[in-house]
Amino acid sequence: METVMPKLNDTADSLPARTEELFKGQEQNIDRHTDRLFARLMIVQWVAGVAAALLISPQTWAGATSQLHLHVWAALLLGGAVTSLPVLLAWKQPGKRLTRHTIAVGQMLMSALLIHLTGGRIETHFHVFGSLAILAFYRDWHVLISAAAVVTVDHLLRGMFWPQSVYGVFAAPIWRSFEHAGWVVFEVAFLIIAIRKSRNEMLNVAERQAKLEILKASIEETVAERTAELTREIAERMQVEETLTQSEAQLAKAQHIARLGSWEWDVVNNKVTWSDETRRLYGFTAEDFGLPMDHCLERVHPEDRAKVRLALAEALRTQGPYVCEHRALLPDGTERVLHGLGEVVVDGHGHPVKVIGTTQDITEAERAEAALRRSEEQLRQSQKMEAVGRLAGGVAHDFNNLLTVITGYAAMSLQRMKKDDPFRKDTEEIQTAAERAASLTGQLLAFSRKQVLQPRIVNLNDVVAGMEKMLHRLIGEDIDLSTMFDPELGNIKADPGQIEQVILNLAINARDAMPRGGKLTIQTANVALDQKTRFRNRDLDVGEYIMLAITDTGVGMTEEVKSHIFEPFFTTKSAGRGTGLGLATCYGIISQSDGDIRVYSEVNCGTTLKIYLPRVDALGTTNADDPDADVMPNGKESLLIVEDEAAVRRLAVSVLRNCGYEVQEARDAMEALALIQTQPPFDLVITDVIMPKMSGKNLYDRIKVFAPRVKVLFMSGYTDDALAHHGVLEPELSFLEKPFSPARLARKVREVIDGPKIRTPVSTKTNGHIPAVKREPTRTAARFALG
Amino acid sequence: MIALPIRVGLCAAWLVAVVAGLGVLISYQNAAGVAGETPRQWPATAQLSPDPSRPTLLMFVHPQCPCSRASMEELNRLLAQNGGRVKTHVLFLRPSGLAANWTHTGLRQTAAAIPGVTVHDDVDGVQAKNFGAETSGQVLLYDARGNLLFTGGITEGRGHAGDNAGVTTIVSLLQGQNVSSSQTPVYGCALQDTCEMTSQRRLAWKQ
Repeated sequence: METVMPKLNDTADSLPARTEELFKGQEQNIDRHTDRLFARLMIVQWVAGVAAALLISPQTWAGATSQLHLHVWAALLLGGAVTSLPVLLAWKQPGKRLTRHTIAVGQMLMSALLIHLTGGRIETHFHVFGSLAILAFYRDWHVLISAAAVVTVDHLLRGMFWPQSVYGVFAAPIWRSFEHAGWVVFEVAFLIIAIRKSRNEMLNVAERQAKLEILKASIEETVAERTAELTREIAERMQVEETLTQSEAQLAKAQHIARLGSWEWDVVNNKVTWSDETRRLYGFTAEDFGLPMDHCLERVHPEDRAKVRLALAEALRTQGPYVCEHRALLPDGTERVLHGLGEVVVDGHGHPVKVIGTTQDITEAERAEAALRRSEEQLRQSQKMEAVGRLAGGVAHDFNNLLTVITGYAAMSLQRMKKDDPFRKDTEEIQTAAERAASLTGQLLAFSRKQVLQPRIVNLNDVVAGMEKMLHRLIGEDIDLSTMFDPELGNIKADPGQIEQVILNLAINARDAMPRGGKLTIQTANVALDQKTRFRNRDLDVGEYIMLAITDTGVGMTEEVKSHIFEPFFTTKSAGRGTGLGLATCYGIISQSDGDIRVYSEVNCGTTLKIYLPRVDALGTTNADDPDADVMPNGKESLLIVEDEAAVRRLAVSVLRNCGYEVQEARDAMEALALIQTQPPFDLVITDVIMPKMSGKNLYDRIKVFAPRVKVLFMSGYTDDALAHHGVLEPELSFLEKPFSPARLARKVREVIDGPKIRTPVSTKTNGHIPAVKREPTRTAARFALG
Repeated sequence: MIALPIRVGLCAAWLVAVVAGLGVLISYQNAAGVAGETPRQWPATAQLSPDPSRPTLLMFVHPQCPCSRASMEELNRLLAQNGGRVKTHVLFLRPSGLAANWTHTGLRQTAAAIPGVTVHDDVDGVQAKNFGAETSGQVLLYDARGNLLFTGGITEGRGHAGDNAGVTTIVSLLQGQNVSSSQTPVYGCALQDTCEMTSQRRLAWKQ
């Protein structure tokens, strides 16, 4: 109203004008309406006059003849004449002053005509008064004056010239005319009063209407202004909403990018709401929105649920921050590691009403951290292994040379001794001890991953099946051995001898974990590691794997034990029963084969070790049968032995000369090269790998330049990657692992000489063919005893 | 839109025409009928005889004449005051060959309803001719000896009732008073056909 009133004041000046305008408009409407009324009335009167004439005096007579009465003609023609102009003006000029005055005069003339036609009946005079009353409809007193003037003039003239026609007397004084006119004036006077009142009312109505119009206009103006303001406000609000929507979208995008969702827990109503990112992180559905906290906690990993509840309860109790790292388990099995933060909101009384917080997906960070930890651990382990490996390598090189001499001469002595020789048993003990020592150095090299692997395509089903008999003997009768082979099991690429050692080591450990008997199950299966399972097999890439699971029902392990079992020299066995190298060796071999070992164990429930090795599509090769270990084939070819260790060199020269070969010897590569250049071509050069001045591999390379057709056989207990890449022997090379027995040396020499003239490198990745390297059959078994 | 001068002129012309029309009408209203030559003595050929004890009043009426209604009203008014002093006969024209109901009009019924009035049919206007009456509404007053006292109409215009010289004269005569004029104009339809009328001498009411 405050805004309306000033506008009313502003428009106050226009009120009289508008009132006048409305009044005139109303007056005009009344005039027009009354004009039309009189037009119809006069036509009716005309027709009625004609009818009255026809009824009262239709004919005038002369005896028996008659003609139309003059009154009829008068009613028709004169009445028509009287009616014509007023009707014409009412039709063409409605609302005009002249029109209504003409109507007034015409109406009075019509009264005179009707009075005349009715023979001056006094009753017809009422037509005059009725007409005056109807003329008052105009609310224009001037019209009444015109009408009254006509009546007065008529009466004056009649009174003067034919008084009997109006007064019924032969002669009437002039005052009678004024008397008659007076009655007319009497009525007109009251009609004028009524007209004035009516016009005043019309004026009041017009004024009220003008005020209403002004008020309405003012209100409409205010409404228009307010509408414009609202439109502007709506536009601004829409702009704000659009900005808000963009901000929300940016926030949602930011949350998505940061993998950081927000949530709010209405503690009073126990309703939890969240952002889209939170919904995605926990795998909630739209229906979950607004559900109680307990329902939401179902998405928390069961193992972490109590921790989250406790953290929330503690935050509510202390009104302190909520901080909780936990895992979420999504309906599709995906696990996420989430970091929750929150603040408690309290009401005016200090009571918690809600908790507002965030949840960040730190899975990748956790993975990275775990990977970093593992890398650090692996680095430490590698450094330790490197140190141990260097130690082992250094030891193995010299130790294997010594063992070669010991085992070689022991074997030669045994060959020369009679079966009842009193020293034979002692010599055999020397040989056995040397072989155990060789196995120990082998394990040292294995866990430090310095062992030379000679991988080929094998099927684990075949490997395990070939070991079943031996395993039965190994684990004893109290333990039930069962195998579960996947008939569709794929192949792997690994050194079968090393894999056998792994299986035997694990079987021995399982046996030792079941002192009162139990069940040992060996299972093979094809497995595929996808992104989800990779989370639990962090050291393995996504892909196809062959799984070998060895499960026992033994005493199991604690988490503490599990965390150390692959460390070298860690053992839970009593002194003298274990070296602590078994599982370390297994881990080294499997790692060297691009695989991984997983341990699942619970105390008093048993242990399962799962070995994962990459699956290859190549076909497997059959393992060459190990010929009779005691057979020493002979030959007459010329040989050159290059060995810096004099004892080993002398042993080899001795053994091979005994076999019939023509043998020359060199103390190092330089000496060997001199002999090769000066002597006739040798059929075979047997060289140590690690030598001073020049390694065996470099010698090999030089020989290939000077005498490409000469065959070369390497012998070493530790190659230090001179021949092998990460411990894997290059396929075109022939290799004899130290320590070796005389018979093994003789067989290997014969095998290489009898082999292809020139060895052609073959890619193991294309056809899987790897030159077979024969091993001494008893060597592996000897290692088991040490495991 | 009609221009104001034209409208004013049109209105003036209209007013003049209407007033002229009314003038014609008034003129007609005051146009008297033919006054016949009334015998001074009751004709011997008349079918009726004068009342020997009092004056006899005769009125000749055309039964279809609308103007004679006023004359009948005046007769009624006259007799209402002086009925006992005069013997009254009203003779309605009845042309031969016309049905009887031609004369049995409202006018005849009005006349018959006036106390002291004797209604007669005047076949072919014979009696009217005997008495020299040529206009409907003509009244004759004879004394008891058959002498003519008055002749003329008892209205002041066509079909216009009201005070008139005829009634005033008759009343004076009946009251034995002297009158200045014993003849008034008659306003009404002709009792005889036009051809018949042309063969007769017409009398102006002023004569």
